Amino acid sequence: MRDQEATRTRSGHAIALLVGLRMPVVIILLLIAAFTAASGKPLDGLLMMIAAVCLAWDAGRRSRQAAETGDDLDQAYQDPGADGTATSVAPPLSRRQRVLLAAAWLAAALVYVLVVGSFIRYSWPATVAVLGLGTVVVAVGWRGPRRPRARPARPSRIGLLLWLAVILAGCLWELQALLQQPTMTASSYTHPTVSTLTDPMLAGWGGRALLLAVWLLFGWFLVER
Amino acid sequence: MNSHDVTITGYLVVLAAGVTLQLLSRRPGSRIPPFGAVITWAMGSRTLRVAILVGWAWLGLHFFAR
Repeated sequence: MRDQEATRTRSGHAIALLVGLRMPVVIILLLIAAFTAASGKPLDGLLMMIAAVCLAWDAGRRSRQAAETGDDLDQAYQDPGADGTATSVAPPLSRRQRVLLAAAWLAAALVYVLVVGSFIRYSWPATVAVLGLGTVVVAVGWRGPRRPRARPARPSRIGLLLWLAVILAGCLWELQALLQQPTMTASSYTHPTVSTLTDPMLAGWGGRALLLAVWLLFGWFLVER
Repeated sequence: MNSHDVTITGYLVVLAAGVTLQLLSRRPGSRIPPFGAVITWAMGSRTLRVAILVGWAWLGLHFFAR
Protein backbone atom coordinates (compact mmCIF):
# COMPACT_ATOMS: atom_id res chain seq x y z
CA MET A 1 0.00 0.00 0.00
CA ARG A 2 2.78 2.37 1.03
CA ASP A 3 4.79 1.30 -2.05
CA GLN A 4 1.83 2.13 -4.30
CA GLU A 5 1.52 5.58 -2.72
CA ALA A 6 5.25 6.23 -3.12
CA THR A 7 5.09 5.16 -6.78
CA ARG A 8 2.07 7.41 -7.36
CA THR A 9 3.86 10.36 -5.72
CA ARG A 10 6.98 9.76 -7.79
CA SER A 11 5.03 9.51 -11.03
CA GLY A 12 3.10 12.67 -10.03
CA HIS A 13 6.40 14.55 -9.63
CA ALA A 14 7.64 13.22 -12.99
CA ILE A 15 4.45 14.26 -14.79
CA ALA A 16 4.57 17.72 -13.16
CA LEU A 17 8.18 18.09 -14.32
CA LEU A 18 7.32 17.04 -17.88
CA VAL A 19 4.40 19.49 -18.00
CA GLY A 20 6.65 22.30 -16.73
CA LEU A 21 9.48 21.47 -19.15
CA ARG A 22 7.17 22.33 -22.07
CA MET A 23 6.67 25.90 -20.85
CA PRO A 24 8.41 28.49 -23.10
CA VAL A 25 9.98 30.34 -20.18
CA VAL A 26 11.53 27.11 -18.87
CA ILE A 27 12.85 26.26 -22.33
CA ILE A 28 14.44 29.75 -22.53
CA LEU A 29 16.11 29.25 -19.13
CA LEU A 30 17.42 25.84 -20.20
CA LEU A 31 18.82 27.34 -23.43
CA ILE A 32 20.57 30.07 -21.42
CA ALA A 33 21.95 27.36 -19.11
CA ALA A 34 23.30 25.38 -22.09
CA PHE A 35 24.96 28.41 -23.75
CA THR A 36 26.37 29.57 -20.41
CA ALA A 37 27.93 26.17 -19.73
CA ALA A 38 29.27 25.97 -23.30
CA SER A 39 30.86 29.42 -23.00
CA GLY A 40 33.11 28.31 -20.18
CA LYS A 41 30.91 28.94 -17.12
CA PRO A 42 29.87 25.43 -16.05
CA LEU A 43 28.89 26.38 -12.49
CA ASP A 44 26.76 29.27 -13.73
CA GLY A 45 25.13 26.97 -16.30
CA LEU A 46 24.54 24.20 -13.78
CA LEU A 47 22.85 26.56 -11.31
CA MET A 48 20.69 27.97 -14.07
CA MET A 49 19.70 24.45 -15.09
CA ILE A 50 18.82 23.49 -11.50
CA ALA A 51 16.67 26.63 -11.17
CA ALA A 52 14.98 25.88 -14.53
CA VAL A 53 14.19 22.28 -13.52
CA CYS A 54 12.83 23.38 -10.12
CA LEU A 55 10.71 26.01 -11.85
CA ALA A 56 9.49 23.42 -14.37
CA TRP A 57 8.42 21.08 -11.56
CA ASP A 58 6.75 23.87 -9.56
CA ALA A 59 4.97 25.38 -12.58
CA GLY A 60 3.91 21.94 -13.80
CA ARG A 61 2.57 21.02 -10.36
CA ARG A 62 0.55 24.24 -10.15
CA SER A 63 -0.67 23.78 -13.73
CA ARG A 64 -1.96 20.27 -12.89
CA GLN A 65 -3.60 21.47 -9.68
CA ALA A 66 -5.20 24.37 -11.57
CA ALA A 67 -6.61 21.92 -14.13
CA GLU A 68 -8.24 19.98 -11.28
CA THR A 69 -9.55 22.90 -9.21
CA GLY A 70 -10.09 25.52 -11.93
CA ASP A 71 -8.25 28.14 -9.83
CA ASP A 72 -5.56 30.43 -11.28
CA LEU A 73 -2.62 29.14 -9.22
CA ASP A 74 -0.10 31.07 -11.31
CA GLN A 75 -1.45 34.35 -9.92
CA ALA A 76 1.19 35.85 -7.61
CA TYR A 77 -0.60 39.05 -6.62
CA GLN A 78 -3.32 39.16 -4.03
CA ASP A 79 -5.52 42.12 -3.09
CA PRO A 80 -4.23 43.82 0.07
CA GLY A 81 -6.06 42.48 3.09
CA ALA A 82 -7.90 39.84 1.05
CA ASP A 83 -7.32 37.13 3.61
CA GLY A 84 -5.93 39.09 6.52
CA THR A 85 -2.35 37.99 5.95
CA ALA A 86 1.02 39.70 5.69
CA THR A 87 0.93 43.49 5.96
CA SER A 88 -2.75 43.65 6.76
CA VAL A 89 -1.87 42.08 10.12
CA ALA A 90 1.58 43.64 10.65
CA PRO A 91 1.41 47.02 12.41
CA PRO A 92 2.41 49.91 10.13
CA LEU A 93 5.87 51.38 10.72
CA SER A 94 6.24 54.89 12.01
CA ARG A 95 8.04 57.48 9.87
CA ARG A 96 11.13 57.23 12.10
CA GLN A 97 11.17 53.42 11.83
CA ARG A 98 10.85 53.62 8.05
CA VAL A 99 13.77 56.06 7.83
CA LEU A 100 15.90 53.83 10.08
CA LEU A 101 15.00 50.74 8.06
CA ALA A 102 15.83 52.48 4.78
CA ALA A 103 19.16 53.68 6.24
CA ALA A 104 19.99 50.13 7.39
CA TRP A 105 19.24 48.69 3.92
CA LEU A 106 21.30 51.42 2.29
CA ALA A 107 24.24 50.80 4.63
CA ALA A 108 24.07 47.06 4.03
CA ALA A 109 23.98 47.59 0.25
CA LEU A 110 26.93 49.99 0.44
CA VAL A 111 29.00 47.52 2.49
CA TYR A 112 28.10 44.72 0.06
CA VAL A 113 29.06 46.78 -2.99
CA LEU A 114 32.36 47.96 -1.48
CA VAL A 115 33.40 44.56 -0.09
CA VAL A 116 32.31 42.37 -3.00
CA GLY A 117 33.61 44.96 -5.49
CA SER A 118 37.05 44.56 -3.91
CA PHE A 119 37.07 40.83 -4.74
CA ILE A 120 38.72 39.73 -7.96
CA ARG A 121 36.25 38.72 -10.66
CA TYR A 122 35.56 35.00 -10.96
CA SER A 123 37.22 34.36 -7.59
CA TRP A 124 35.59 32.09 -5.00
CA PRO A 125 34.81 34.97 -2.57
CA ALA A 126 33.02 36.87 -5.36
CA THR A 127 31.21 33.69 -6.41
CA VAL A 128 30.00 32.93 -2.88
CA ALA A 129 28.86 36.53 -2.28
CA VAL A 130 26.91 36.83 -5.53
CA LEU A 131 25.55 33.29 -5.39
CA GLY A 132 24.44 33.75 -1.77
CA LEU A 133 22.52 36.94 -2.44
CA GLY A 134 21.07 35.59 -5.69
CA THR A 135 19.82 32.45 -3.95
CA VAL A 136 18.19 34.43 -1.13
CA VAL A 137 16.43 36.80 -3.54
CA VAL A 138 15.16 33.96 -5.76
CA ALA A 139 13.97 32.01 -2.70
CA VAL A 140 12.15 35.07 -1.30
CA GLY A 141 10.66 35.87 -4.70
CA TRP A 142 9.49 32.28 -5.17
CA ARG A 143 7.10 32.74 -2.24
CA GLY A 144 5.45 35.70 -3.99
CA PRO A 145 5.43 39.47 -3.52
CA ARG A 146 6.69 40.89 -0.23
CA ARG A 147 3.39 42.71 0.25
CA PRO A 148 -0.10 41.81 -0.93
CA ARG A 149 -1.02 43.88 -3.96
CA ALA A 150 -3.69 43.91 -6.62
CA ARG A 151 -2.57 42.74 -10.03
CA PRO A 152 -2.43 45.70 -12.43
CA ALA A 153 -4.39 45.65 -15.66
CA ARG A 154 -2.65 43.90 -18.53
CA PRO A 155 -0.76 46.45 -20.65
CA SER A 156 -1.82 46.83 -24.28
CA ARG A 157 -0.85 43.96 -26.57
CA ILE A 158 1.07 46.27 -28.91
CA GLY A 159 3.00 47.69 -25.97
CA LEU A 160 3.95 44.25 -24.69
CA LEU A 161 4.97 43.11 -28.17
CA LEU A 162 7.17 46.18 -28.69
CA TRP A 163 8.99 45.64 -25.38
CA LEU A 164 9.32 41.93 -26.10
CA ALA A 165 10.78 42.74 -29.53
CA VAL A 166 13.41 45.05 -28.00
CA ILE A 167 14.41 42.50 -25.33
CA LEU A 168 14.49 39.69 -27.89
CA ALA A 169 16.56 41.78 -30.30
CA GLY A 170 19.09 42.47 -27.55
CA CYS A 171 19.34 38.77 -26.66
CA LEU A 172 19.70 37.68 -30.31
CA TRP A 173 22.35 40.33 -31.02
CA GLU A 174 24.34 39.12 -27.99
CA LEU A 175 23.88 35.52 -29.16
CA GLN A 176 25.12 36.23 -32.70
CA ALA A 177 28.21 37.93 -31.24
CA LEU A 178 28.82 34.93 -28.98
CA LEU A 179 28.47 32.47 -31.87
CA GLN A 180 30.89 34.47 -34.05
CA GLN A 181 33.70 34.31 -31.50
CA PRO A 182 36.66 32.09 -32.52
CA THR A 183 35.49 29.63 -29.86
CA MET A 184 32.75 29.78 -27.25
CA THR A 185 35.32 30.47 -24.54
CA ALA A 186 37.54 32.96 -26.42
CA SER A 187 36.35 36.56 -26.60
CA SER A 188 36.51 38.42 -29.90
CA TYR A 189 37.38 42.04 -30.66
CA THR A 190 35.55 41.82 -33.99
CA HIS A 191 32.31 40.48 -32.48
CA PRO A 192 32.35 41.56 -28.84
CA THR A 193 29.66 40.33 -26.45
CA VAL A 194 28.45 42.63 -23.67
CA SER A 195 30.73 40.74 -21.28
CA THR A 196 33.74 41.46 -23.51
CA LEU A 197 32.81 45.14 -23.78
CA THR A 198 32.50 45.48 -19.99
CA ASP A 199 35.74 43.60 -19.23
CA PRO A 200 37.95 46.77 -19.12
CA MET A 201 35.48 48.51 -16.81
CA LEU A 202 35.21 45.50 -14.51
CA ALA A 203 38.98 45.12 -14.26
CA GLY A 204 39.03 47.89 -11.64
CA TRP A 205 37.47 48.08 -8.21
CA GLY A 206 35.40 51.19 -9.03
CA GLY A 207 33.82 49.63 -12.11
CA ARG A 208 32.98 46.42 -10.27
CA ALA A 209 31.41 48.37 -7.39
CA LEU A 210 29.39 50.47 -9.83
CA LEU A 211 28.05 47.45 -11.73
CA LEU A 212 27.27 45.67 -8.45
CA ALA A 213 25.30 48.73 -7.32
CA VAL A 214 23.30 48.71 -10.56
CA TRP A 215 22.70 44.95 -10.15
CA LEU A 216 21.49 45.47 -6.57
CA LEU A 217 19.22 48.35 -7.56
CA PHE A 218 17.66 46.30 -10.34
CA GLY A 219 17.20 43.38 -7.91
CA TRP A 220 15.52 45.70 -5.42
CA PHE A 221 13.26 47.03 -8.17
CA LEU A 222 12.22 43.45 -9.03
CA VAL A 223 11.68 42.32 -5.44
CA GLU A 224 9.45 45.33 -4.82
CA ARG A 225 7.14 44.38 -7.71
CA MET B 1 32.78 50.57 -40.68
CA ASN B 2 34.27 47.26 -39.56
CA SER B 3 32.61 44.27 -37.85
CA HIS B 4 33.52 45.61 -34.40
CA ASP B 5 31.71 48.88 -35.11
CA VAL B 6 28.70 47.09 -36.59
CA THR B 7 28.39 44.90 -33.48
CA ILE B 8 28.57 47.89 -31.16
CA THR B 9 26.11 49.82 -33.32
CA GLY B 10 23.70 46.90 -32.94
CA TYR B 11 23.85 47.16 -29.15
CA LEU B 12 23.36 50.93 -29.33
CA VAL B 13 20.34 50.55 -31.64
CA VAL B 14 18.70 48.12 -29.18
CA LEU B 15 19.47 50.48 -26.28
CA ALA B 16 18.10 53.45 -28.24
CA ALA B 17 14.94 51.48 -29.06
CA GLY B 18 14.40 50.77 -25.35
CA VAL B 19 14.95 54.42 -24.39
CA THR B 20 12.59 55.52 -27.19
CA LEU B 21 9.85 53.17 -26.00
CA GLN B 22 10.26 54.44 -22.45
CA LEU B 23 10.02 58.06 -23.62
CA LEU B 24 6.99 57.30 -25.81
CA SER B 25 5.29 55.64 -22.84
CA ARG B 26 5.45 58.96 -20.96
CA ARG B 27 3.25 60.74 -23.49
CA PRO B 28 -0.35 61.28 -22.35
CA GLY B 29 -2.67 58.58 -23.69
CA SER B 30 0.21 56.43 -24.91
CA ARG B 31 -0.63 52.78 -25.61
CA ILE B 32 2.95 51.84 -24.84
CA PRO B 33 3.43 50.95 -21.17
CA PRO B 34 6.58 52.04 -19.30
CA PHE B 35 9.15 49.29 -18.72
CA GLY B 36 8.27 49.24 -15.01
CA ALA B 37 4.60 48.57 -15.77
CA VAL B 38 5.52 45.63 -18.02
CA ILE B 39 7.75 44.14 -15.31
CA THR B 40 5.09 44.70 -12.64
CA TRP B 41 2.52 42.95 -14.78
CA ALA B 42 4.87 40.05 -15.60
CA MET B 43 5.78 39.61 -11.93
CA GLY B 44 2.11 38.85 -11.27
CA SER B 45 2.68 35.40 -12.75
CA ARG B 46 4.50 33.10 -10.33
CA THR B 47 6.31 31.35 -13.17
CA LEU B 48 7.48 34.57 -14.82
CA ARG B 49 8.33 36.06 -11.42
CA VAL B 50 10.73 33.23 -10.62
CA ALA B 51 12.16 33.22 -14.15
CA ILE B 52 12.85 36.98 -14.04
CA LEU B 53 14.52 36.71 -10.62
CA VAL B 54 16.60 33.74 -11.80
CA GLY B 55 17.60 35.85 -14.81
CA TRP B 56 18.67 38.65 -12.49
CA ALA B 57 20.73 36.25 -10.35
CA TRP B 58 22.28 34.82 -13.52
CA LEU B 59 23.40 38.33 -14.57
CA GLY B 60 25.31 38.74 -11.31
CA LEU B 61 26.86 35.29 -11.61
CA HIS B 62 27.73 35.88 -15.26
CA PHE B 63 29.69 39.05 -14.57
CA PHE B 64 31.29 38.18 -11.24
CA ALA B 65 31.20 34.47 -10.39
CA ARG B 66 33.27 31.54 -11.62
